[in-house]
Amino acid sequence: MNRIPAVSASNVWFQFGDVHAVKNVGFELEEGRFLTVLGPSGSGKTTLLRLIAGFQQPNQGEIFIKGQTVREVAPNKRSIGMVFQRLALFPHMTASENVAFPLKMRRFDARMISERVKKYLYLVRLEGLGGRRINELSGGQQQRVAIARALVFEPDLLLLDEPLAALDRKLREEMQLEFRRIQKELGVTTINVTHDQREALVVSDQIIVMNHGEIQQDATPLEIYRSPSNPFVANFVGVTNLFHGTLESLEGQQVVIRISQQMLIGTLKSENSTLAQGVLVKATVRAEQVRLFRRQSENRDCEVCFDGRVTDVIFEGERILYELSVAALSNTLIRVIHHDQRDFSTFEIGETVFVGWQSRDMYVFVVD
Amino acid sequence: MRRNPSSYPLTWHLMDILEAVFSKIWPKGGGLWNPYLMLSPAILLIGLLVLGLGYIGDISLRTLDTSTFLFSEEWSLTNYERALTEPFIRSVIWRSILGATIVTMITLLLAFPYTYVMVRTRSAFLRKFLLIALFLPFFIGQVVRAYGWLIILGKQGIVNDILGLVGIEPLRMLFNYPSVLFGLVQYMFPFAVLMLAPALTAIPEEIEAASESLGASWVETMLHVVLPMAKPGLIGAGLVVLTLSLTDFAMPAILGGGTQDFVANAIYDQFFRTSDQGFGSSLAVILIVIGSLLVWVIFMLVGAGTLALGAKDK
Repeated sequence: MNRIPAVSASNVWFQFGDVHAVKNVGFELEEGRFLTVLGPSGSGKTTLLRLIAGFQQPNQGEIFIKGQTVREVAPNKRSIGMVFQRLALFPHMTASENVAFPLKMRRFDARMISERVKKYLYLVRLEGLGGRRINELSGGQQQRVAIARALVFEPDLLLLDEPLAALDRKLREEMQLEFRRIQKELGVTTINVTHDQREALVVSDQIIVMNHGEIQQDATPLEIYRSPSNPFVANFVGVTNLFHGTLESLEGQQVVIRISQQMLIGTLKSENSTLAQGVLVKATVRAEQVRLFRRQSENRDCEVCFDGRVTDVIFEGERILYELSVAALSNTLIRVIHHDQRDFSTFEIGETVFVGWQSRDMYVFVVD
Repeated sequence: MRRNPSSYPLTWHLMDILEAVFSKIWPKGGGLWNPYLMLSPAILLIGLLVLGLGYIGDISLRTLDTSTFLFSEEWSLTNYERALTEPFIRSVIWRSILGATIVTMITLLLAFPYTYVMVRTRSAFLRKFLLIALFLPFFIGQVVRAYGWLIILGKQGIVNDILGLVGIEPLRMLFNYPSVLFGLVQYMFPFAVLMLAPALTAIPEEIEAASESLGASWVETMLHVVLPMAKPGLIGAGLVVLTLSLTDFAMPAILGGGTQDFVANAIYDQFFRTSDQGFGSSLAVILIVIGSLLVWVIFMLVGAGTLALGAKDK
């Protein structure tokens, strides 16, 4: 079955002056799905969103909504609801008037407007607050008005331009779940932009990781986390240890690499077409895959085991993060996350411990 | 822990020296009175103004005896009665009010798009050009500018010369009501732009983008979003232009050529031609009352809060 995607882009380029903000971007998003474009600031993710919204025109390539190119369609004629970074609510109107605005602009009749406004204020749990002015509402309530305003005219597509970035952590996490609930309830196709990896993992059906204007990986949250396609993705999502080394030998996807005189076994994540010995590689191990032992004899299943010294202990509540210096790896710092409550504050700064991991958890990437 | 002091900017050192000197001279300081002490020069200035107003109010109630050239000992409302009944003065007052109103409306109408383009344009060149074009005439005094218009619009002026080349009889473009209003609009324009610019800068571009993405056309965005949000600036600019043009002297005097007097010109005549300070003062008081009434009416209509003075919690 060959369904037309709700949104797609092919070969999209955009540049500001001589800076390529978006380079050769292409993707497809199915109807009703929640896509997050994840990347650090300056990665081109917001520009991509503005291109989809129509505030900017791509220099090259096409964007399609429901299979139709939108090159000639002005922003106010695209059926897109957008929640802006700083919300961009109209301060001279009440919450209800803000929500009614897109309906008035589309010449809905008065009865329909009041029905819809009521329905959407209820949906975002603001019933009874419609008469308030924008500055009489709390940050979270303002977020909800912005969502209602973007959805009330039932657009084909909802765009979220990091609207949660300015909120405190607790409210942000609450609103993430709220976005997800509303999106699932209405089934509206959504594209969210964020630099918050946690938010991306929590809310999305599909994640596109961007860096320097290019798509690094386009996959489900689970795939992005479990099998990152390059060191950037591995590093950007989750807490990851990164090693530099050279290739020794390979057999299928299993490789032996040399990191400061140590031979380590890992899983190759790059294409293995023509790889020679001595090729530069990057290897990653997730912080939660690394184990710590007081005695070497405690090691049950780690093929790799070194002795190291604890240099920092960071207590984060539900987990604890250790930083270790490993002499065998030229004092590379290794970060370890412990979730086991019984292990908490077992190790102290300066203590000598054993650190190990399983070979299958070390991913190896060829450096281009 | 002291760092190397030379790493701090010069102004910080100056502040430190000032503070040291001040604490030597007056170790205890003014405490809670400090803000009021700093306010006192301004209060003094306003106080002098009030004193002058008191004097004007007093003399406006005394009539001039034309035979002895002395002012009456008793107060009476004779001067005011005269001002409000004499047809010439009444026409001057109406001319001023109508003129100021027309000038305000035209100036705002012209200044709004000018400011909008100046604030929103992405071209640094265009913004600089608009700013320079705004300020250049601003630096030239009002009187010199009015004389400039005499040269341009006069019987033998540049415009009539050009019209003569294509065979059009010289037009009479000066010494009438429109020429005074024209001069005033040109004079008030920079004031209005300068008052509007911060108000328009304060409207985030994101708001306009939002309005557009919600389905509003450019015209609807202007009408429903930008104009209402610019209201404080429009009212502020309107008040400045209204009061300045209501009380203007030079433009009616020079471009009106004595036939288009505003109240200020009538006051001048009473003080320096007829030497009837009493009657002149009564005209001054009437002008103040009219100006204050106009401002009061505008505040009543739109609310003083729209000026955004201390209206944080509104």
